[in-house]
Amino acid sequence: MFRIQILNAIALVALTLTVTACDKGPQTGTPTPAAKAGDTVKAGDTEVTKTQPTEAAKPAPQASAKGDVYGAGVDEMTTVAISEILADPEAFDGKTVQVEGMVTDVCAKRGCWFEMAGKAPGEKARFKVQDGEMVFPMSAKGKSAVAQGKIVAQKLSLEETRAMEEHYATESGREFDPQSITEGKTVFRIEGTGAIIRD
Amino acid sequence: MPSRKIRWRKLFRSLHRDIGYVVAALTLAYSISGIAVNHIEDWNPNYTFANTRIDVGGLPVGDYQAMQDHVVAALKINPKAVKGHFMETETLFRVFLTNTEEVSVDIETGKGLFKQVKTRAVLYEINALHLNSIKGIWTWVADVFALMLIVLVLTGVTMMKGKRGIMGRGKWFVASGLAIPLVFIWYMVAGA
Repeated sequence: MFRIQILNAIALVALTLTVTACDKGPQTGTPTPAAKAGDTVKAGDTEVTKTQPTEAAKPAPQASAKGDVYGAGVDEMTTVAISEILADPEAFDGKTVQVEGMVTDVCAKRGCWFEMAGKAPGEKARFKVQDGEMVFPMSAKGKSAVAQGKIVAQKLSLEETRAMEEHYATESGREFDPQSITEGKTVFRIEGTGAIIRD
Repeated sequence: MPSRKIRWRKLFRSLHRDIGYVVAALTLAYSISGIAVNHIEDWNPNYTFANTRIDVGGLPVGDYQAMQDHVVAALKINPKAVKGHFMETETLFRVFLTNTEEVSVDIETGKGLFKQVKTRAVLYEINALHLNSIKGIWTWVADVFALMLIVLVLTGVTMMKGKRGIMGRGKWFVASGLAIPLVFIWYMVAGA
């Protein structure tokens, strides 16, 4: 009798494992509500850097409004252009924003950040989260992303800037020359709650 | 009617054996993933990378769509595979393709790289389970798995009695297993 009970329990657990193993998360669907504007956000951050102004970049075409939802997703709010933030970053300091752009790079090791292209060449925003909070796949490159969070300005020293760029270059498999960085950068971090990435 | 006395050790042995069967696959998967991600600073446990040097010749100046078309034609890429392009710097032009492929070209020299990224078969999937990057219901499955491991441990250390049991030589094995992490914790606290 007891053996039968054990076997039943095992069968139930095995069935549960089989069914849940089909869960492919992140969630695919329409955006889900995220933190409201002005909320204190804990999970992630985006850094906005500017390496080269002018001219246009072509983001991936949006075949669908749906996409893979990470974290809490994004609210329905007006998207701010990355170039607009770069033009007057202090004006956005402390504000909750939503930015959109084509994904150009993803953290290859932990999937803990991705970069989005602005409309102009060289304009990029880095969306970063705590390790494991959200995990972005390398296959996101070339797709369109929307990310949301609160912008926080952070002034880095020359050494900190070099260390940051070296870390990012290593993680994205690029070569890095420390001498290419000659002054400290001000990065604009978006402490975010979620993102949507779509084809 | 005879009284039915529960034979605890027999029950523990049965539980230990059958739960062991259930968790065997996931324990192996988590262990392999644990070794893989433990050395993440030395290798990438999820992806492999391949770069091939290319030369697409001189690119048209000023028109990014024309640059993209030139790259696509020069490398005989199916235009449907193009996801988008980006001018990374003054001279570095990048074209993103399906299957996590990319072409990056210096527009002055026409030289660059064809980059391919592939997920490591099996490892990518078990890392996702182990690190719970998929979230959702898997969080609960992982919790159930952890509880089953706890039962496995408790039934394991109590299934034997006598000299080979927990009160016999077993306590020394348990103590040695406990001592190793305790030494590291002491080192962390004392060194802090």
